[in-house]
Amino acid sequence: MIDFHTHPLLVREMLEREPDLARIARDVFYIRNNPQPLETFLLELDVSGLDRAVLLPIDASTTRGCQIYSNELIAELCQMSDRFVGFASVDPHQETAVDDLERAVKDLGLRGLKLSSPTQEFYPNDAELVYPIYEKAQGLSIPIVFHAGLSWEPRAKAKYGQPIHLEDVAYDFPNLNIVIAHFGWPWVLEAVMLALKYPNVYIDTSCLYFDNPKDFIAFVMTQQVPLSAIEKSLRHKIVFGSNYPRVEIKNMVKAVKSLGLSDGCLKLIFEGNARKLLGEVIR
Amino acid sequence: MKIKLEKLEVQTRGDKELIDITPEVERVVAESGVRNGVVNILTTHTSSGIIVTEGLPCLELDVLNHLEALAPDEGDYYHNRYLDIDGRLGFNAGAHLKSIIGGINAFFPIEDSQIVKGSRQCIYFAEYDGPLCRTYCVQVMGE
Repeated sequence: MIDFHTHPLLVREMLEREPDLARIARDVFYIRNNPQPLETFLLELDVSGLDRAVLLPIDASTTRGCQIYSNELIAELCQMSDRFVGFASVDPHQETAVDDLERAVKDLGLRGLKLSSPTQEFYPNDAELVYPIYEKAQGLSIPIVFHAGLSWEPRAKAKYGQPIHLEDVAYDFPNLNIVIAHFGWPWVLEAVMLALKYPNVYIDTSCLYFDNPKDFIAFVMTQQVPLSAIEKSLRHKIVFGSNYPRVEIKNMVKAVKSLGLSDGCLKLIFEGNARKLLGEVIR
Repeated sequence: MKIKLEKLEVQTRGDKELIDITPEVERVVAESGVRNGVVNILTTHTSSGIIVTEGLPCLELDVLNHLEALAPDEGDYYHNRYLDIDGRLGFNAGAHLKSIIGGINAFFPIEDSQIVKGSRQCIYFAEYDGPLCRTYCVQVMGE
């Protein structure tokens, strides 16, 4: 079982080595919990009944003057535990972005790309700016996780993260798998519309914006979208994501499992769909 | 008068658990050189606690189950909202309430360099929202 959406921002061993990461976590990404040893992350997976976690960085060199984890640090963390699956991030505003991505995948062994358009301040359908990156990702056969919807980062505007901007990407790059993070909240139906129509569009569950994980996930996945639509139409298009450490993994797992989905559907959400995106299984 | 303070870390491994810290407290007392005085134990977190009870696994379960009944994790709490001081939602009011009900500290006299406590009494660090690396303080004061 896999958590497809985590940020290793509070890993103490890395913060001690890279002191600026603490400032970046606190002031840019805006997560203010205390750092924890790497062991806590792994124990959190254990308690949640998960095997692996996808680690997501954000390269915000141009807009924030920093990387919210570099590709190199992600690769280092992956060396520290085989339970981590590292993704890369590149800065679309940098001329080196395409080469950076190729290097991250071929040299560092990273297995996907994370882009956060509200943080990096671009529209995902800005063909001139970002299509070369998509072409490279498609050529490398890696998925892209797009932040979508509300971001808690103070300077991140949701307008860049509206899922509808991803329709052009899905249409123009039919062999590029894309994941709409956070269920695209509050544009849940836009995200669902894209996932229903385009075979290469997926959604992750990492959304929590009010109440608690159980109630919020139930609101999104039973009221904003009928549970029957998840069970019947979207079972192959949703991956589990927690957004740890903004939310404990254990609480998001419990929330998704409490919905009343069939065991087969849960197996796809927690494992099968993620493994397909990672190229570990054909279907 | 001697005053010695140690800040100790404990890595909790479960969502909720009681960890026997009696040996650690006894070690701090022994190393303090205090023959007659007091020892205070305090957790530094608001979603954990310090509990004293008989050191039996069955009682550990009963304590945690009873606290869950009194302050369930999934209650209808005002704390279930975005907290900009943390950059995340605070939906662990149940853990905070368990901490209040169970208490956050313990105190024992020291006599002839020994903690004065009943033979059945164990000192526990109580985790209500783990797994986390936690800190608790043991302060020894006396002569």
